[in-house]
Amino acid sequence: MGYAGFVFANLLRNPLRSALTGSAIALAVLLVCLLLTMPAGLDALLTRVASDTRVGVINKSGLVFWMPYSLMRKIRGLEDVADAVGMVWFGGAFEEQGKVTFPSFAVEVDHIPGTYPDYNVAPEALAAFARYRDGAIVGRQTMRKYRWKVGDRVTLRSNLWNVNLDLRIVGEIPRDSSPIVWINREYLDEAIKAQGQPGLGIVMIVWVRVPSADRVNSVMLRIDELTRNTDYETTSQTEKTFFSNFLGSLQGFLQILLMVTGLVSLCIVFIAANTASMAVRERAGEIGVLRAIGFRRRTIFAMLLSETVVLSWLAGALGVGLAFVVTTSLSRLGGSIAALGPLGGFIVTPGVIVQGLLLSLAIGVFAGFAPAYGAARRPVADTLREVF
Amino acid sequence: MLPLSYSVRNVALRPLRSLLSVAVIALVVVACSLFLGLISSLRRSFISSGDPMNLVVLRKGSDNDGASQLTREAAASLHYLDGIAHNAEDVPLFSPELVVQPFLQTRNGGRENVLVRGVEPIALEVHTGVRVVEGRMFRPRLHEVIVGKAMVGRYEGAFLGGELHLGRGRWKVVGIFDAAGSSLESEVWADVEELAEDSRRPTPYSGVRLRAASGAELDRLKAHIDADPEYALEASREVEYYAKQSETANSLYILVVAIAVLAGVGAGFGSANTMYAAVQSRTAEIGTLRALGFSRGAILTSFEVEALTLSLAGFLSGVVLSLLLAAALRRVQGGIAFTSSTFTTNLVTLSIGVGDLAQACGLAVLIGLLGGLGPAYRAARLRPIEALRKA
Repeated sequence: MGYAGFVFANLLRNPLRSALTGSAIALAVLLVCLLLTMPAGLDALLTRVASDTRVGVINKSGLVFWMPYSLMRKIRGLEDVADAVGMVWFGGAFEEQGKVTFPSFAVEVDHIPGTYPDYNVAPEALAAFARYRDGAIVGRQTMRKYRWKVGDRVTLRSNLWNVNLDLRIVGEIPRDSSPIVWINREYLDEAIKAQGQPGLGIVMIVWVRVPSADRVNSVMLRIDELTRNTDYETTSQTEKTFFSNFLGSLQGFLQILLMVTGLVSLCIVFIAANTASMAVRERAGEIGVLRAIGFRRRTIFAMLLSETVVLSWLAGALGVGLAFVVTTSLSRLGGSIAALGPLGGFIVTPGVIVQGLLLSLAIGVFAGFAPAYGAARRPVADTLREVF
Repeated sequence: MLPLSYSVRNVALRPLRSLLSVAVIALVVVACSLFLGLISSLRRSFISSGDPMNLVVLRKGSDNDGASQLTREAAASLHYLDGIAHNAEDVPLFSPELVVQPFLQTRNGGRENVLVRGVEPIALEVHTGVRVVEGRMFRPRLHEVIVGKAMVGRYEGAFLGGELHLGRGRWKVVGIFDAAGSSLESEVWADVEELAEDSRRPTPYSGVRLRAASGAELDRLKAHIDADPEYALEASREVEYYAKQSETANSLYILVVAIAVLAGVGAGFGSANTMYAAVQSRTAEIGTLRALGFSRGAILTSFEVEALTLSLAGFLSGVVLSLLLAAALRRVQGGIAFTSSTFTTNLVTLSIGVGDLAQACGLAVLIGLLGGLGPAYRAARLRPIEALRKA
């Protein structure tokens, strides 16, 4: 029997115990993976969504402090600005599904293609967006969530502007995680004027595309210089910084999440160590015999250790697999069950899979080391004397 | 029946192994009570912000202060309604307010959206829980503000005598207020007129808070405001308004219960392992007990009690650990930041309550009961003769 066979045979010697330990490890790895998907999901989201050649410009005082629409012309006139689009928060709610909202913005339609070439919106969708005043381009996440299709008509209500807009979906942003809805700025402007109020006249965020990454800093400086000493001083950031600041206030919760992840990992180490020490203690006599017939300490140590490692790694792989299944089905359900909230939004990334597998490997090593080392080190004579 | 001390002393018989099981359960209890504590603190911070006698009046359809706009005329139409409570000087307890969400620099170099509430001095009498505990109330027209207790230490300039860069202006901090741990403690209060001017809002107010003279008047006022066709306003009870704000806590609660159950089942497996080993190593003993005439039920109970002892020990050490951890977190981190539905930062002070601990205790007992069931059953089923023969 080879060493590998020996290890597996030993694992199967007490199947109930191995199964219990294995399930405990699998569950814990599942849990850790699920917890890790949150920060990892946020991070992945940022890298996927955010570009470093796009700059966001907002009023230095905060998003709710607006900027005059005339700023757009000035920004587009700057050197190294490939294109820029001004956006106004629409805050549309889809009333058929209760009061759910998603990030929806009124945008300058003509400047979308130049600012968002990386979104790969289909050219015919962009053409239709330019043609129909009531057109809307919707991110794939929102499309799937409400089972909308291109060509559908939906009504969104904005409490901020106190209007209902009937929209025609003319295209989608082909990104799985995009919840965004873009509507035509002029359409909103008209609707507001129709109520006897002055038109929009403002922008809340300006997105600027810079042709190359090395000019981003100088463009940001120039924009902020442009508005210095006006009463709408701006602050410019790359898209990535912008989003990570926006999510910044989740940091406290994430820290606790990571702390709990650490606690849970420690937990499994204890469980696995417990099992390993039980196994070693029961087999003390056997180990003594192995040593007596000439097996080296190193070999015995390696065999005992690999027993724990193999168990925890197999269980860990099972846990990672489960995490994958759970998050996939959650994100499917997320669309139909609003109560799941942020739970539906995260998927297991390759990074999480690697972390989960590494974690289970580490658990095996930490848990198995002390018992295996102790057993291998024990003088043969002592052991045999105890047994016989 | 086997004496209780038999089970308890058996736990002490194998100290290391028992210690490991206890540690596992303790860790699960820590994780569980930290999370539950966080969520109930978050919930409490919202719930305690409301007063049962207060109404929040916003524009119809707005679900929070931050998304509502009110004209001066609309606010004025409510000022002298019958049924509003009056203070000792016979001034109606009626507070027109403006909420804006500017950036504030944090002391570690970041910036966060915070909720700045423009009010008139009467607001201190309408929001009943709010007391200025250091310094004094701001005086209108002097660019003075008071800040909530939770903000002190987190933001640049947020201390008595400090200066806040908010919106377009600089504001002097002349007072610190306490709001009994509610979400109001994460707010800055400024003069409503100055704030409207600074933020260049087209309308001076976002909403109105008012205090009814009695419960019956409250219902009447609410019905009256909701029915008024002219300004399309909507009045909600302040308590319900804040309960709705705490809905984020509910989806987090589902998450935490899922985590706790998963971790609990894992710990249950671990505990079962320990107990199986205990049964195995005491086979001969169990055989002897059975031969002496102890019933199967007695053996079963005694092993269950043993498992429960483990989990109770785990629970107790878990409680101590989590209370210590929570205190350390409070000291190191201050409040824990959550984004609320107004997109502003709500700083929640983590405190673990009795209710949270009770839930964690339930989990620990469940771990003990379920983890002990299999092994206890196996022990009870042992046939005395075979058990003794094995020995």
